[in-house]
Amino acid sequence: MYKVDTTWSHTMLRIDLVSRVPVYEQIANGLRAELVSGKFSPGAKLPTVRTLAINLGVHHNTVAEAYRQLAKEGWLELRRHHGALVRERHRPHAGPDAMERFKRPLRELVAKGLADGLSPRSLAREMIEAARRLEGEPSS
Amino acid sequence: MNHLHMDIHLIVAVTIGGIAILNAALFWFMPCLTRRDLYFAVTVLPGFRDQFQGTSILRRYRIELILLSVLALAVFVAGFVWLGVGFVPAGRFIPVAASFIAFYRARLRVLPFAVQPTTIREAELLGHNRIVPGGWMAALGPFILLIACAVYLWFHGREISSRFTTANPPGWARSHWGAAGQPDGFGVYGLSVYLLSTAGILVALTLILYGLAHWVRPVYVSGPERVHELKFRRTVSAILLALEYYLAVQASWILLVPRRGDLATVGLVPLAFVFVLVVIVVLARLGQGGSRIPAGHDARVPTSAAPVGDRTPDRFWKLGIFYFNPDDSAVLIEKRFGLGYSLNFARPTAWIIVLLVLMAPLLQVLAHLMKGVRS
Repeated sequence: MYKVDTTWSHTMLRIDLVSRVPVYEQIANGLRAELVSGKFSPGAKLPTVRTLAINLGVHHNTVAEAYRQLAKEGWLELRRHHGALVRERHRPHAGPDAMERFKRPLRELVAKGLADGLSPRSLAREMIEAARRLEGEPSS
Repeated sequence: MNHLHMDIHLIVAVTIGGIAILNAALFWFMPCLTRRDLYFAVTVLPGFRDQFQGTSILRRYRIELILLSVLALAVFVAGFVWLGVGFVPAGRFIPVAASFIAFYRARLRVLPFAVQPTTIREAELLGHNRIVPGGWMAALGPFILLIACAVYLWFHGREISSRFTTANPPGWARSHWGAAGQPDGFGVYGLSVYLLSTAGILVALTLILYGLAHWVRPVYVSGPERVHELKFRRTVSAILLALEYYLAVQASWILLVPRRGDLATVGLVPLAFVFVLVVIVVLARLGQGGSRIPAGHDARVPTSAAPVGDRTPDRFWKLGIFYFNPDDSAVLIEKRFGLGYSLNFARPTAWIIVLLVLMAPLLQVLAHLMKGVRS
């Protein structure tokens, strides 16, 4: 009846409702990963709070909280009734506690990987690959 | 007179009988039209329906459906003979109630085999497919038609022939004629009541049309499932638009024909019956939510062991047909047992739609009461 658009973008956000990580944090983490990788150029429009909440099947306050967190970090500019715009953001100087904040969850993640039988070398390689992918560098 | 009564009896019997058969046929095939991992509105493993328990539940459901449908038809005929034509408006719901009982009993048998649906939710961040068929200009068409009718009648209302208006109260319009083409006691309203109730239904349908573009959560965000899901959603939108045009044209016909000469005999009921039949066939070919993937389009292999279903937990489905989830921002949600979409009754917008739909009968009941007071 209608011509169906068969092309789609793979900029996808995925959350797990029963994860120990709060949903708003999962949304913020997922969006941050997309923003760091440069998939959204400055000025690009993110889905509105309502649209994203409907698509994820969560309450709109949950998405609004994630957007507020990203706005506080300087990634987004929130405009009432106009959704969220991606801001030009320069990499800030890492403060003294930035590495400490990073180390804590990393330690838990590495421990889980080791417990699952992964080798320290493969974990290190995967981490470098992930950072390269997010920075837009060609992976080795 | 006897001949006329025979005609009315025959028409009512054929119409109600036809609706009952259509209803039973639809319920017969419905379990096969839903998503693979939903069975009688319960989330199950995708292969469950082909297993012994699944086929046995289906067999029993179909036997009960036939028995209850025959019983419902018998109750309807008895009520019709006993109470007359006045029994028809309430009596037509008897076959639907009978089918629901068969469905509900089958659902109770499936519930012990329920499994948790996946808790993974995905959302597309860039692509949007929010297309209303024909654009919003097409959606405005029925309103323009209705407004044009209202304006025309505003200036020419007094010229309407007495055949189409009542003497007491004066100036009220008839919108219902019996089998012999003579006005009967049904459908006598003030023109404004008729226009307002039609406008109310059109607004509700347009809200749903808007909702299909903005308030529905896709179950899949990629793969052939997503393509077929979009096709299903657009088909439902096109059907809604067609329904809006049908209602606007019907209202205009009823309002304007008195100014254009004698009323031609138009079988609106058979026309509506054909419309419903075409809609059912078109949607059934796609399967609920576009779940009938044609051969050659391999469905995506699930990434987790948990079934996807419609990504809504079973506990939010009351009686298997009413969805009530305050934490879900979606207003429209795919029906679990049926073709099309249902409302999330935890959202205020859903109640606005319900009130708009109810506005038509409520206004008409009020008009009848006022007619009684005036005369």
